[in-house]
Amino acid sequence: MRFAARLCLSVAPVLFAVSLITFFAIEVLPGNTAEQLAGVNATAEQIERLEQALQLDRPPWVRYGEWIGGAIVGDLGVSLANRQSVVSLIAERLPVTLALTSFALALALAAAVPLALISVYRPGGAVDRTVAILSMTGLSLAGYVLAPLLILVFAVQLGILPSIGYVPLSDDLIGGIRSLILPATALAVPLLGLYTRFLRGDLLEQIDSHDYMLAAKARGIGPWRALLRHALPNSLFGLMTLVGLHLGALLGGAVIVEQIFALPGIGQLLLQSVNLRDITVIQAIVLLLATATVLANLTVDVLYAALDPRIRHGRA
Amino acid sequence: MAALDAVVAASPARAAQPAGIALPSGLLCLVAVLCFLVPLVGSLPSPTGGDVLAAGLPPFSNGHILGTDLNGNDVLSRLAYGGRSSLVIALLANLAGLVVGATLGAISAQAGGAVDAVSMRILDAFIAFPSLVLVLVIAQALDASVPGTIVALSCFTIPAFARVARAATLRLREQAFMLAAGLSDAPAWRILAFHVGPNIVPQLTSFLFLGVGISIIVEGALSYLGLGVPPPAPSWGNMIFHGQQAMHSQPSLILLPSLCIFVTVLACNLLADALRRRWTAQ
Repeated sequence: MRFAARLCLSVAPVLFAVSLITFFAIEVLPGNTAEQLAGVNATAEQIERLEQALQLDRPPWVRYGEWIGGAIVGDLGVSLANRQSVVSLIAERLPVTLALTSFALALALAAAVPLALISVYRPGGAVDRTVAILSMTGLSLAGYVLAPLLILVFAVQLGILPSIGYVPLSDDLIGGIRSLILPATALAVPLLGLYTRFLRGDLLEQIDSHDYMLAAKARGIGPWRALLRHALPNSLFGLMTLVGLHLGALLGGAVIVEQIFALPGIGQLLLQSVNLRDITVIQAIVLLLATATVLANLTVDVLYAALDPRIRHGRA
Repeated sequence: MAALDAVVAASPARAAQPAGIALPSGLLCLVAVLCFLVPLVGSLPSPTGGDVLAAGLPPFSNGHILGTDLNGNDVLSRLAYGGRSSLVIALLANLAGLVVGATLGAISAQAGGAVDAVSMRILDAFIAFPSLVLVLVIAQALDASVPGTIVALSCFTIPAFARVARAATLRLREQAFMLAAGLSDAPAWRILAFHVGPNIVPQLTSFLFLGVGISIIVEGALSYLGLGVPPPAPSWGNMIFHGQQAMHSQPSLILLPSLCIFVTVLACNLLADALRRRWTAQ
């Protein structure tokens, strides 16, 4: 418990700094919201009136106080563009992004674990080298480079999957999954490269520098069994940390993938709000994404401690 | 930025080497020649203001070796000029990261105590933002422009370099020469400049190539979304975006800029990897 408390103490200041950066980066930068909303033909007087109506004329730190106070109790204000509550706007979109990112994460992990295992079975062998090239290739493919290629092959040439659009999973499970296959693949491939490289390195380290692997070998345990039962569980700890650290890459990637495939998720909402300069929505989404990353890392640390007695008792 | 750490962190004991230093350096030189020299020596048509009557020509057409896009602009010329801005933006953003970020990181690690604790929390906060989201929000506020994109990208390269430099400096602490330098009563700036600096350069160099690769990807994403290099100026990202309109009829309009981004990023990643292996081995 003391471990958890210490983690919370280090997380709270980070979250506070995150909220400051979010608010002021969007607030202080040039480009006036009221001007944008009023349109190109608005007079100075109209803009001023709009500013007062939106309460944008008060000092930024007063508005920060109100904003963060609201955010803590779950009220993120209303959209400046259409007066809808920001929380309800986000709640509408969240399931799409969650479905997309969890599908992508599952794909990446499901492929990375076996790939890493077959490459450490014989380090430096043909399989290992092939996997190394594949994972380096995956790592170098941006989602927006891969996505058009996937559409070109699977939707245009072969015509077996829908190219764009989203079918809610609750309406039609099969159709929903089909509409997510290409976007999730585009999002998963770079992560897959990253995870495979990491897991391969970590498994090799277990084999090379830990006596328990030697002991397993001495007891006559077969190589696959030693890998699966002894090395892998230890390496999965490291992979878990990596997944947490890289949640940002997953969420950032989702923004552009949602745009390409016209999926009505958080990323698409962010881009729409960016174009409208709807700052309350932008601030809320950026805060949400950054908080999610910080909390995911906290969860990983806590889980790590819960599962690994060496850390729980402060001996590692 | 996230992707950067893991590539650095994954240090395979027995590396399956995808490539040495020669291949990726060669690829990068090739890209640089295409982007910087070809427009100078050849008689490339202008990348903008093309003739609509010559729009959508396939590759190997007369006068347009890679064809023309939907506005009649020469594709080879757009690839070259687009690559030029991608490379310049990525290099400048990472040099800013290297100069500002690495200095701050090394100072923070050397200072230790409260200074280090506070700056670490600030770094953690910056790193919590998905890099694309942070850059996107800042880029749109600065309006689509080349300098705006560089500033926006620096917002993630600076914290990233700071973190790498800090970690590398902390690792040095246990070395005997650092203890000796500390005991010798040398001023702090001297220790930083002559003892810490040269010893963290290898790590920073390999990180620089990684950072350039990631920056090219993020810059491409911004340009794809219309928030990076302002159209009609070409960039690989906005070429992919516009190419999607002709996906059925002329897939080369997507494939060529995609290939350029992929090859450049791959070369950067391979080079970073090879350099890192080299200094780990030493």
